[in-house]
Amino acid sequence: MIRPDAPVLLEIRDLEARVEDKAILKGVNLTVRAGEIHAVMGRNGSGKSTLSKVLAGHPAYTVTAGSVTYRGDNLLELDPEQRARIGVFLGFQYPVEIPGVSNLEFLRVATNARRAEQGHEELDTFAFEDLVRERLQVVQMDPAFLERSVNEGFSGGEKKRNEILQMALLDPLVAILDETDSGLDIDALRIVAGGVNQLANADNATLLITHYQRLLDAITPDYVHVMAAGRILRTGGKELALELEQRGYDWVDQELAALEAAQTRTPAEVA
Amino acid sequence: MSSPQAVGDLVSQPYKYGFVTDIETEKIAKGLSEDVVRLISSKKEEPAFLLEFRLRAYRQWLQMREPDWAALGYPPIDYQDVIYYAAPKQQAKKASLDEVDPKLLETFDKLGIPLSEQKRLSNVAVDAVFDSVSIATTYKEKLAEHGVIFCSISEAVKEHPELIERYLGTVVPSNDNYFAALNSAVFSDGSFVFIPKGVECPMELSTYFRINSGDTGQFERTLIVAEEGASVSYLEGCTAPMFDTNQLHAAVVELVALDDAAIKYSTVQNWYAGDEHGVGGIYNFVTKRGQCRGDRSKISWTQVETGSAITWKYPSCVLQGADSVGEFYSVALTNNRQQADTGTKMIHVGPRSRSTIVSKGISAGHSANSYRGLVQIGPKAVGARNYSQCDSMLIGDQAAANTYPYIRSQQPQASVEHEASTCRISEDQLFYLQSRGIGFEEAVSMMVSGFCRDVFNQLPMEFAAEADKLLALKLEGSVG
Amino acid sequence: MGASLAAPAGRASAWLTPWLAQLPPPAGELAAVQQRGRRALAEQPLPSAREEAWRFTDLSLLAQLPLQLASSAAPLPTLPPAEPDVLRLHLDGCGDPLAGLDLPDGLQPLSAAELAQGLGHTLAATGCEHHWPVELNHATAGRVLALRVASRARVRLELVSTQPAALLPLRVLLVLEEKAQLELSQVLLAQQAGLTSLVLEAHLARSARLEHGLVALGHPDAALLGQIALEQEPESAVALTSVSAGWGLARLEPRLLQVDGQAQSTLRGLQLVDDHQIADTHSHVQFGGPEGQLDQLHKAVAAGQGRSVFNGAVRVPRAAQRTNAAQLSRNLLLSDRARIDTKPELEIVADDVKCAHGATVSSLQTDELFYLQSRGIDADQAAGLLKRAFCEEVLRQLPTPARSSCPLERLLLEAR
Repeated sequence: MIRPDAPVLLEIRDLEARVEDKAILKGVNLTVRAGEIHAVMGRNGSGKSTLSKVLAGHPAYTVTAGSVTYRGDNLLELDPEQRARIGVFLGFQYPVEIPGVSNLEFLRVATNARRAEQGHEELDTFAFEDLVRERLQVVQMDPAFLERSVNEGFSGGEKKRNEILQMALLDPLVAILDETDSGLDIDALRIVAGGVNQLANADNATLLITHYQRLLDAITPDYVHVMAAGRILRTGGKELALELEQRGYDWVDQELAALEAAQTRTPAEVA
Repeated sequence: MSSPQAVGDLVSQPYKYGFVTDIETEKIAKGLSEDVVRLISSKKEEPAFLLEFRLRAYRQWLQMREPDWAALGYPPIDYQDVIYYAAPKQQAKKASLDEVDPKLLETFDKLGIPLSEQKRLSNVAVDAVFDSVSIATTYKEKLAEHGVIFCSISEAVKEHPELIERYLGTVVPSNDNYFAALNSAVFSDGSFVFIPKGVECPMELSTYFRINSGDTGQFERTLIVAEEGASVSYLEGCTAPMFDTNQLHAAVVELVALDDAAIKYSTVQNWYAGDEHGVGGIYNFVTKRGQCRGDRSKISWTQVETGSAITWKYPSCVLQGADSVGEFYSVALTNNRQQADTGTKMIHVGPRSRSTIVSKGISAGHSANSYRGLVQIGPKAVGARNYSQCDSMLIGDQAAANTYPYIRSQQPQASVEHEASTCRISEDQLFYLQSRGIGFEEAVSMMVSGFCRDVFNQLPMEFAAEADKLLALKLEGSVG
Repeated sequence: MGASLAAPAGRASAWLTPWLAQLPPPAGELAAVQQRGRRALAEQPLPSAREEAWRFTDLSLLAQLPLQLASSAAPLPTLPPAEPDVLRLHLDGCGDPLAGLDLPDGLQPLSAAELAQGLGHTLAATGCEHHWPVELNHATAGRVLALRVASRARVRLELVSTQPAALLPLRVLLVLEEKAQLELSQVLLAQQAGLTSLVLEAHLARSARLEHGLVALGHPDAALLGQIALEQEPESAVALTSVSAGWGLARLEPRLLQVDGQAQSTLRGLQLVDDHQIADTHSHVQFGGPEGQLDQLHKAVAAGQGRSVFNGAVRVPRAAQRTNAAQLSRNLLLSDRARIDTKPELEIVADDVKCAHGATVSSLQTDELFYLQSRGIDADQAAGLLKRAFCEEVLRQLPTPARSSCPLERLLLEAR
């Protein structure tokens, strides 16, 4: 839902980042207001996943230029856990398995860390069990998964549901979902998308990172951004995604080539 | 900030039990000789058979060589530079706690082991050993009502000499190994537990060992006997002050389980480990062995080893009875310059005997952590089974993790299975937990305790939390 | 049969001094090596059970074997004809195996200077130059087969040896230049009492590949002491598959060093013992740099009163980050008078590594047996099938020439 007067939650300005020695993001600009759902699309290697990792503060990525503010404050100077506590959530494309660490305990510690930040009281084991059982319904997950180790031995679909369960518990203001649709069969996709729709409201925002239309059939975005070579090449409404679906990404390449040619011609301007 | 270095820093934190109790102590002169052995025996007013036992062990010890096969390095120990007997100056053991020197009670209070009637733990009976002497045992009377004997071994020698004579040295013979021989010659105090036929011990039993003197060796001796159908859960805890010299600790623990008996023996070992340069700390050379003599008997060892400069320890089970069960669950954490060579022996003699080994080693700093185990299936152990799992977690690239599992089988109708793996705390796992709002320290600690979960689950409930806390404590510290 | 070798140990090495004295004087291209080896044997006691590496395998048994040096070659066994592109050489410890042969492209004998430089280099690098079985070979070997495989060449070689009623010392040195590929099939046969002593060294330059299949079929009164030392430069690959059966005593020591890591090593071993036989494999893999890979599978079948020993050492020092090593020891114990000793041995000082090892000892799986029986196969036949399947996993890794001289049927027969 687009409301021009809604508060800005996330403001990304000229963001550049690299991993090891490789520059990946080369000037990303994006404004996200409360109530909005954004889809970021693009080919593999366009920088979509890097953008999500940088927003969550992954140590392997270094920001070399630009800024990211979250509700007016500099997000980039915060540790990953602080970002999570103030309401930035990353749903991983490949959630890691953590053998030995109980999923239930993990969810409880994480939820309480977020609640402390929000000024809510800490939930004891019993109160938390009640909460988690209620939220399990959002993703139609079997409570048996609570007794297992974090993501250990989960199927691809179960891992993604566990991600959305965490989102349901942590109550983020900005949820970044990185390729949440990858590896899901049609039923799992429906459940996951249903969860995201249920959790979206006028106060929070969602950033969907995907390269398929099929997730957007289930979750209607307010904005669609096309990423290529580390920046956002074009922004439009949901019809842009349909256009991509029909025409493929070739026109993106052409547009990009044209842009790069223009830049080569005027090196002085670029510098 | 979530670099391996930061993880390494986390494992370093000051030792919390390093204080010394200022109390007058009676010590004998340094050194070991036949006269010293006789002196110890006479101080304890022992019967002749025990003096004989000690002297035989001493003579055997003189003929033996200190073992050098473990992956441990330490300067030679001067056995003449050790005091073999030290006791707080209060005469004999007091009938009532009120008469015990308040300084001693205070010491144990400080260690989290309150002994006084008002404060003592409600479901755990404690035998508190200070240097060479047991100073108090709680709940003795209540246990006696059930026929359970729980007292210091010195007391048992006086009150129940026939039991001592019958069982002492029958599981670990005095010439078993160098350190066992030394212990048999000079052992000072320790606990004795006897659970008569058919009795399920009504509460947890626990011995808390405290080394206080700087130049004293500690040589406790523990003997636990569970008669037919009896069962007991026993816990041992240990701490020592921080000295910049090394102290020798050579204990012997013997367990005997008759038909259908079960003994669960848990240890949370937190002796002083020395400083980050490897100065000081306890040399811990311990022989622990249980004999499942009876059919369907069961002995289970659980250990959480976090302290000592040197650990040389292999709690073992001799599975003689048919269908007997042996278990070994171990967490060994080494940091700084600590060295641990620890593991178990499962000797399968009886048919259908079963054993399980779960060992988790965590090495950080410049430490060395070795698992050394033996699984032996004898020719008569038809249908025996063993399963072993040995995992190592490495923190930093200066620490060593070694695995030496010896397997011998002579019985085709038996199966042995051993698995081992190594892991580290990966950057991706840390980031995942952090991105859910969990702080770096807590994330590391969660993963370490997750790694140890299978072992902690075996500890008696009261102590599982304790062990988790201890590990978390060892992991506490400045971040990055 | 075979009982003579398993008799209790006699006095350590009283036989050694007179035996050394009766050896012919050092001569030939290895005279200096012989001299050094004999000096070492005169000073070095025979390994005893007190040493960790020899805990279960007693060499004093050797005293009971005919150990004079062979004066003439034993007759060649009947083997299937060599494949057309395979060069088959007869190593008999006496004659020159290359005499009168045209070597294929890319395969050359080492010059005297190269030999002087390369001989013993890999033994030293892998830390076994002074091991007793190596010194025994030093003391007695009069010849060395020293070959170089030229850069980018592909060569298939087969070495066949038959042990006479004597001591047969075999020494091989191989140099693989960059991107060279060598398939080496080696067959060691013994049909009478005696001792086969093998020392094989190979150095692999960058991106070289060696596929070595060793088949050793022995005799209950014969012993085999085999040392295989391999040095690997980065991006090289070694696949070493060894199969031994039927020896009164067989001790194989493959030792690998990945000089700077980043190489691939695959070890496959199968040993069968029956009657009073002893088979012992002590492997040792050292990673000298990062990103090395090891995939090791060792299998043993022990029947009768046979004894099987395996010790698999893997060393991962601090320089060897991102090593990926997996080792598995699988053992079939088929008789209640046989014995299996197995010990994986892992030493790691690097945090970012994947090292796993496993060991199992059991008889044939009863549920597998039952499954076959429930399909009408009788118990003996079912057991035979399962045993065969157990061995096949290693046998099928042998290069074809080695494999064809070691058909499974024969192997199982020899193992009896």
